[in-house]
Amino acid sequence: MTEEALLARDVRKVYRSRKGPGVEALRGVSLSIRRGERVALLGRNGAGKTTFLRIASTLLIPTSGRIHAFGFDVVDEPERVRPLIAVVPQEGKPFFHLTPREQVYCYLRARGFARDTARARTEEALAKMGLEEVGDRLSVTLSGGQRQRAMVATVMATEAPLMFLDEPTIGLDPFARRAVWDMLRELTQKGSTVLLTTHYLDEAEALSERLYIVEEGRVLFEGTAENAKRQIGGTLRVSIEDGGHQRNLFEAFGQLVEEGNALYVITGPERIHEIMDVALRNRLSATVGPVTLEEAFLTIVGRSIDAE
Amino acid sequence: MALGLRWSGSGAFFATEIRVQFHEWLAIVTGTLTPGALIVFVAILAADLLPVTLIGALVYSMFLIGQRVLNEAAYIRIDHKLNELYHASPLSPEGYFVGIAGGMLVAYLPPSLVVLGILELIHPLGLVAGLTLAVCLLAVWAVSSTIGYVVSTLFKDMKTIWPYSALLTNLFGILPPVFYPLSKVPIEWRSLVLIVPTSAAAILVNAAAGLEPVTRQEGTVAAVALAAEAVILFVFGIYWARRMARER
Repeated sequence: MTEEALLARDVRKVYRSRKGPGVEALRGVSLSIRRGERVALLGRNGAGKTTFLRIASTLLIPTSGRIHAFGFDVVDEPERVRPLIAVVPQEGKPFFHLTPREQVYCYLRARGFARDTARARTEEALAKMGLEEVGDRLSVTLSGGQRQRAMVATVMATEAPLMFLDEPTIGLDPFARRAVWDMLRELTQKGSTVLLTTHYLDEAEALSERLYIVEEGRVLFEGTAENAKRQIGGTLRVSIEDGGHQRNLFEAFGQLVEEGNALYVITGPERIHEIMDVALRNRLSATVGPVTLEEAFLTIVGRSIDAE
Repeated sequence: MALGLRWSGSGAFFATEIRVQFHEWLAIVTGTLTPGALIVFVAILAADLLPVTLIGALVYSMFLIGQRVLNEAAYIRIDHKLNELYHASPLSPEGYFVGIAGGMLVAYLPPSLVVLGILELIHPLGLVAGLTLAVCLLAVWAVSSTIGYVVSTLFKDMKTIWPYSALLTNLFGILPPVFYPLSKVPIEWRSLVLIVPTSAAAILVNAAAGLEPVTRQEGTVAAVALAAEAVILFVFGIYWARRMARER
């Protein structure tokens, strides 16, 4: 098998429509993920993250381009790829009329695990996702967060060599999110490779070793979160409330990023005093902080991750 | 692996579906209401037709099982996205299709066994009639499960699917001579009902049970039509399941 767990070359996808032109969801996405890596696809809603994930996981056929998982072509050899992968679908729910314990166990059995292994892994996954107490309740009686945890537990229990997780922490409280992150870290330590989509910047930063920022079906950035932040030309961010109307005052101090009425000046520590001075003289409220992935995203994409 | 078919994991998925359905025992019980009501009406209004109606109830119930495949496959695809969980796994698409269809068959079989028990009490079936019944019911299940599975993949919304489920059930289960004898069908319509899988099954079982004779030609047409429909549709179902495991 090859060194790359996943290798995509110029993947395009056009959703054909009977009425009107098709929708171009992917416009030539290329990426590679090494074995044991945790990689995030970061992007706004509709950026193409789920489309890519579904193609990579053999669920959707691309219009053109190639994706190989462990050297196997996901389009031509799906039956060789499928035993090596597991997917948490976006907004997937467990069988409502199974308990989380049954859900995980039955899925492992359908994947070919022996009874004893399936039983042991089920208990382990339920414990890690904090589902022991509700493990014997029908999923229909569980909260949305508990159901999502049951879905994540189902897939993580497989310890598949390559896991795809489409927005796995949606609807989870902070503790459950941490539990998912911990479990994903543990799985990659054991040798699994993880590709997840998210539009939570903190999740992408905390969890992924590398990230791909995707916008309108194209990869705009590839690298670590730190690289993304460094790329935008400064280490500090001055947030100026209502500064969007007074761009000209700050243009000389660094890179400007606008979001709504707010203006962010990305700069170095040597310019902070000058910027604060200008802000105060113009009666603008300003705060200073380190550059975050949010500014990096805004700079790279040109829009906030929450912008529709 | 025969004819390229892969069944790895399908037994476990089949068991999963049975488990899911047994947690919904009320749905299993309520599935008997329509045939049960018809049996009661016929018992009161035309008791001599009761064996025909009981056989009709068995055929109808078997067709209804297939329609439950429609609802279940659509529900777990549209509402739960569980098809993605299973399709991106070693479980083959044909294993997924047959797992749902087989799970429904086993889970919804107990009410039919009760009806079969009543039939045995009032009109015992001989060996040939019993075998004919078993084969015909299996054929109806194959036809209905395939129709149900295929239709379930065509829509993106549960509410759109419900009317189709009701339409198919009435079109195949109530309208043709399933609950009533072939002799009640106008002569010009008979050749049509002989090739409808549900009425073909009922006609063949009624004839084998000595309840209503059919001509050799009618029997042959019904048997060939039912067998061909069952085999062709089931093979198509497997092809369709493979095709739909990946969207285009």
